[in-house]
Amino acid sequence: MADNHLSNDEFFSRLTDLFEHSRKKGHGSVYLTQKRLSFDTTSAPPSPTKILDDPLWDTHPENPLPVLIRASNNSSSKRKGTDREDIDKIKLSTVVQPEQLDAFYARYAEVGKAGMSGLKKRDKKKKKKDKKKKKAGE
Amino acid sequence: MPNFETSTEWYEQSSLLLKARPTTARITSKYSVLKPSASKVQKRQKYLDKRKDAPKPPSTSAEASTSLTNPEELVATFTLKTYDPVSGTCLQYETNKAAEVGRLIGSLGRLSKHMAALPEVAEDLSAPAEGAGISTPKLEVDGDVRMSSPAPGAEQKAGGGKKKKKGKK
Repeated sequence: MADNHLSNDEFFSRLTDLFEHSRKKGHGSVYLTQKRLSFDTTSAPPSPTKILDDPLWDTHPENPLPVLIRASNNSSSKRKGTDREDIDKIKLSTVVQPEQLDAFYARYAEVGKAGMSGLKKRDKKKKKKDKKKKKAGE
Repeated sequence: MPNFETSTEWYEQSSLLLKARPTTARITSKYSVLKPSASKVQKRQKYLDKRKDAPKPPSTSAEASTSLTNPEELVATFTLKTYDPVSGTCLQYETNKAAEVGRLIGSLGRLSKHMAALPEVAEDLSAPAEGAGISTPKLEVDGDVRMSSPAPGAEQKAGGGKKKKKGKK
């Protein structure tokens, strides 16, 4: 999968599909991972002497590094006696350049909020009523 | 494998871990929707039955009964996990509230700046984040990050001269 990074736009549309997929299924998980993209074919890996000289070299790289974002679902296999179906693993990944991080995460939050519809909604009404009651009671 | 009570704590500790190990640490977030286990359904059913049988207190009954009606209701959680395979550190936070998702992904975004090795302070401040001895409390945060006190254990891990950013009031 390493070579098939999607563009950010495509990643978002596929991620929306992934959430939709899990929503339709009714249950299941969506995994989102982020890490520094440290594997770079264009530059030589840091030499061992460099690491020895400065063990913390990776805490202050010369240039900002891109961030790798991955998303996947759970694969499952059919099993008798349960309603489990054969589901293929869907894996998505994209690379976000440092200067695009803010824009990316703004959209990421939108997609995430829309996709995670199963979580508990805030119950404003109830709290307000409770508070009023307390005040009235005292 | 600490499981934090608040997302603020999780964010603070994760940012320290990322400062210390920006290359190896990763953040995995999992959104999972599960059918409740048989025992969970049983428990809920029991609870509902108890509710039904108990004499209802006059005013609250209408609202209280709306909170849980279906014992088969799905369990949805959103889990954030920062893991560093080199040191074996794993920091977790779990929630089931939709209202938190936006904020949590926002903090994922801020943490990604550590990964990208960008200064964590907003660009428009135009001040170098490192070496600005008196770091001003301008982390572009919802204002909740500095509430809890820094834990000494993780500070040591962060090493280097980067502790300044923390522990200010």
